[in-house]
Amino acid sequence: MSTEPRLLHDLLDDAARRDPDTPALGAGDRTASFGELASASSRIARRLRARGLRRGDRVAVRTGDPLAAAAALFAVSRAGAVFSLLHESVRDGAFTHVLDDAEPSVVVCDTDDVRDEAGAAGADFLTTRDLLALADAPAPAAPDGTGEATPPPDRTCPVLEVDPVCMIYTSGTTSRPKAVVSTHQQILFAARAIQKRLGYRSDDTVYCPLPVSFDYGLYQVYLVMLAGARLRFGSPAEAGPPLLRSLIESGATVLAGVPAVSDRLAWLAARGKRRPTSLRLLTNTGAALSEKTVSSLRASLPDLRVQVMYGLTECKRAAIMPPDGDLERPGSCGLPLDGTEIFVIGPDGERLPSGETGQIVVRGPNVMAGYWRREELTAERFHRRDGLFPELRTGDYGWVDEDGYLYFDGRRDDIYKERGFRVSATEVEAAAHRVEGVDSAIVLPPADGRPAQLAVISSIPKEEVLERMRQEIEEFKVPRICVRLDDLPTNGNGKIDRARLADLISASGRA
Amino acid sequence: MQRNDVVTALEAALSEALEREVADLDGTVRLFDDLHLDSTSMLEVLMSLEESIGLEVEPEDLEIEAFESVDSLTDFVLSARAAAA
Repeated sequence: MSTEPRLLHDLLDDAARRDPDTPALGAGDRTASFGELASASSRIARRLRARGLRRGDRVAVRTGDPLAAAAALFAVSRAGAVFSLLHESVRDGAFTHVLDDAEPSVVVCDTDDVRDEAGAAGADFLTTRDLLALADAPAPAAPDGTGEATPPPDRTCPVLEVDPVCMIYTSGTTSRPKAVVSTHQQILFAARAIQKRLGYRSDDTVYCPLPVSFDYGLYQVYLVMLAGARLRFGSPAEAGPPLLRSLIESGATVLAGVPAVSDRLAWLAARGKRRPTSLRLLTNTGAALSEKTVSSLRASLPDLRVQVMYGLTECKRAAIMPPDGDLERPGSCGLPLDGTEIFVIGPDGERLPSGETGQIVVRGPNVMAGYWRREELTAERFHRRDGLFPELRTGDYGWVDEDGYLYFDGRRDDIYKERGFRVSATEVEAAAHRVEGVDSAIVLPPADGRPAQLAVISSIPKEEVLERMRQEIEEFKVPRICVRLDDLPTNGNGKIDRARLADLISASGRA
Repeated sequence: MQRNDVVTALEAALSEALEREVADLDGTVRLFDDLHLDSTSMLEVLMSLEESIGLEVEPEDLEIEAFESVDSLTDFVLSARAAAA
């Protein structure tokens, strides 16, 4: 009875039909089977609809519990609404921005200050515990009309595969993050195309040290459902120094990684007497994996295969390398997903021949719908050729070889990667400017092995600048180095002279 | 090596990993929540301790409990050194 999944929650229902009982998802010492998740998400969906959630409404979820996040997202999918899973460090000003931008009708979060703010914005507020409690008891019938009766399924407007279901907030070129909106169809296409390349098996245990707010972490949920595999989430603490131990104890066969995770594993595995010998596959996304890390991993874990990848939230995944393909084509991030195309354009939008560097463009059903309520930016990034056909102009630069393999060559705008996270210099500078006492702020992206640096003209100490910025943007976006200067050097055009600024910063004692 | 010396080495390692001055740490200070360490900088701390005081890490002995607070990490370093001696 396996028809192709059409809606996101069909993935879960199919997995639950095939294997209802295996404790497939785990986090800490808790587990959930696909069957449990399917029925919990159905009950939560019914209760949320009874509380007023409607098709197309947004639901913002910020929880440290990935199993609860999974229950929430499938419940929201069933209700025909749109979920946004937020990183735990989205707080204060960053959270307010999401409330203003997404106007969620339900907010799931565990801090009280958000309760007041969400309430003031007219949203239904639930803690993680409240959310899970919705799954515990079937909704009571209410003959007298006072309680919440289960509304009948809405037959006049069923959920369509072209309906939005997911919003992922991402940084770049704007002073505040904007949300990439995906439809059911787009997510299912991307998930199946990725699974086709990575080939997770039904006997795999995937270890995921990435949060579900990070799209590759989220997609692990879909991938294990397609494969009928098991997924173990690692908390930041478990995936830190105890990573090797966590991998061994979970019996992991696949590690979903970013460079920081792989670097850590390489360091630990080189020293460990016991090794995670069942680990067969490491996938890498976020940024390029260093050659040193890969060769160290291959030396310590000879059975490990490595698959490097390239993508961005706007199309989830663009290219994937065959296992160990990096040995043959070092520096490449692989071939486009089946049914998609990657090419490179010059400044006038013309296609460039293989070998020439230009802007990377992605075409295919993996290109998402666009940015939530950002028409101009959507038109620019999700360009429509001949006014009709969407192609994602990634803002990344690179080239394609004669066999179609993609090589990434960096960005030309304000985005940089720090520890695998995408950070926008514009957003960081805007956050610094919002701090009272800061007159001027400029970010120097990471270079030559040093982290990103923030230079400010301010009336408050640099430590305080950084501390207050944590209330504006997520922790990982706050530069680790801040210097206070009396003046920011400018060039003839009145623009900040970044080269001289870098010299000034190193002269000020921070080499 | 005395507990004080370990704490001093730990402060130096934390200063390096966090790229800011860390001094006069109270033992109850939590590494993730209070000092804003993440899983990467936590490993950087171990790497510096390996260099500065010759800490020998057995990766399979690293448990999350050791990385909760300044006190727990200091205890861990002391016991690791005692085991290696």
